[in-house]
Amino acid sequence: MSKKKSSLGRQKIPIEKIPKKSHLQVTFSKRRSGLFKKASELCTLCGVEIAIVVFSPANKAFSFGHPEVESIIDRYLTRNPPQESSAHQLVEAHRNANVRDLNIQLTQLLNHLEIEKKQGEEIEHMRKARQSQFWWESPIDELGLNELVQLKGSIEELKNNIGKFASKCMMEQSNVPSPNMGANGFGRYDSLDNKFGLGINIAPPPPNSYYLGFRNGYL
Amino acid sequence: MTRKKVKLAFISNDVARKTTYKKRQKGLLKKIEELSTLCGIDACAIIYGPYDPQPEIWPTPQGVQSVLSKFRTIPEFEKSKKMLNQETFMKQRILKAKDQVKKQMKDNKEKEMTLLMFQCLNLGEIVHNNLSRTDLNHLDWLIDQNLKDIDKRLEVEDNNYNNGPIQIITTQNQVPVQMALPPSPPPATPWKEEMAMVMGHSGMTMNNDDIMQRKFLMDLMVNGNGDETISFGHPHDANLQSGFWSNQLP
Repeated sequence: MSKKKSSLGRQKIPIEKIPKKSHLQVTFSKRRSGLFKKASELCTLCGVEIAIVVFSPANKAFSFGHPEVESIIDRYLTRNPPQESSAHQLVEAHRNANVRDLNIQLTQLLNHLEIEKKQGEEIEHMRKARQSQFWWESPIDELGLNELVQLKGSIEELKNNIGKFASKCMMEQSNVPSPNMGANGFGRYDSLDNKFGLGINIAPPPPNSYYLGFRNGYL
Repeated sequence: MTRKKVKLAFISNDVARKTTYKKRQKGLLKKIEELSTLCGIDACAIIYGPYDPQPEIWPTPQGVQSVLSKFRTIPEFEKSKKMLNQETFMKQRILKAKDQVKKQMKDNKEKEMTLLMFQCLNLGEIVHNNLSRTDLNHLDWLIDQNLKDIDKRLEVEDNNYNNGPIQIITTQNQVPVQMALPPSPPPATPWKEEMAMVMGHSGMTMNNDDIMQRKFLMDLMVNGNGDETISFGHPHDANLQSGFWSNQLP
């Protein structure tokens, strides 16, 4: 896995045309999205009607409108007062309810994303800490020849043992008539499969595993 | 400026709503101006507030007119491709968020698996409390990936070794053969870089005593000797004869 460069974060830039084309394109994308988001919020918070039209650097037309782009534009250009039929209002109310639900859904997703990101950072942190203790956990690119050879041997052995372990589990499972047998006959494994991955159950190894690793290990 | 998280719902308090409207409407127009300037593009905004029959607009009536004219000349299907309202905009954002979550979870799973692999290596046994069959397969696959990567590097180094101009290197600084195990991969030293250049390959990470020990190591692998004077340099015995697992699987 290659290491990603972390972003520069928030930086203040002068408000003038961006010289670099690629940079300009990215900025347009991001800011357009942010602009629409702000517009949407304004509509929800204050109950306003709005239309925004922007042309991309490639001259594609992006628009956002509440309730609809075209109706707002028409209203502006013809200087007509808005139509407020009761059917109209009903449609509006329905739409707003939808938007509320969608917003709840989005918030949940974003929270989930935050949690996953934090967990990723935690694991990264753990990994870095371990790398200072156990050299063989460093990225393969950083290992020297003899280290590579050693590591290879150990990993091959592990692979072997996983194979043995898996067959052992299979045998155990087919020998024991389990009350949990599902329709497909793999009752025990199904319950295992439903576990939420490895979760945060991974604790750092006990402090003296360093010795274990050496005493028992090829390393 | 105080940053309190605002609930995304219609503000029932009239005063608060008016204040919010004034602030946000101003901010919105500022944002569209920035976008227009930064990216050198045409844009316009029309805001109908509850407090004024006249809309707030940007940039100017003429500016708005010209952008709208340009907009109207675009064929219908082109326009509607990127035309959004609150609902469609939300759905877009939801899709994007779902993708991000999926990707992050996938990345995390990879990392967890790698961690598990190393835990197994350390403990000399398979940590199997929570493992499903899928997980085992994943672990197996991960091991294969690692083996592939290792082999790739070994091949590269092997090629270099065979093609290098010198078989036996006399080093400038005689590094003692028995050395303490470095807690982290040895940092790049000027000596190492020189070595790399001598071998004719730059950018290669090698251990200090790599070349000297390599032949030694190859003999070792072939003979499988458990020799205590193995200079991988850790303070404990390298119990090489027993292989990795001194105790059988539970």
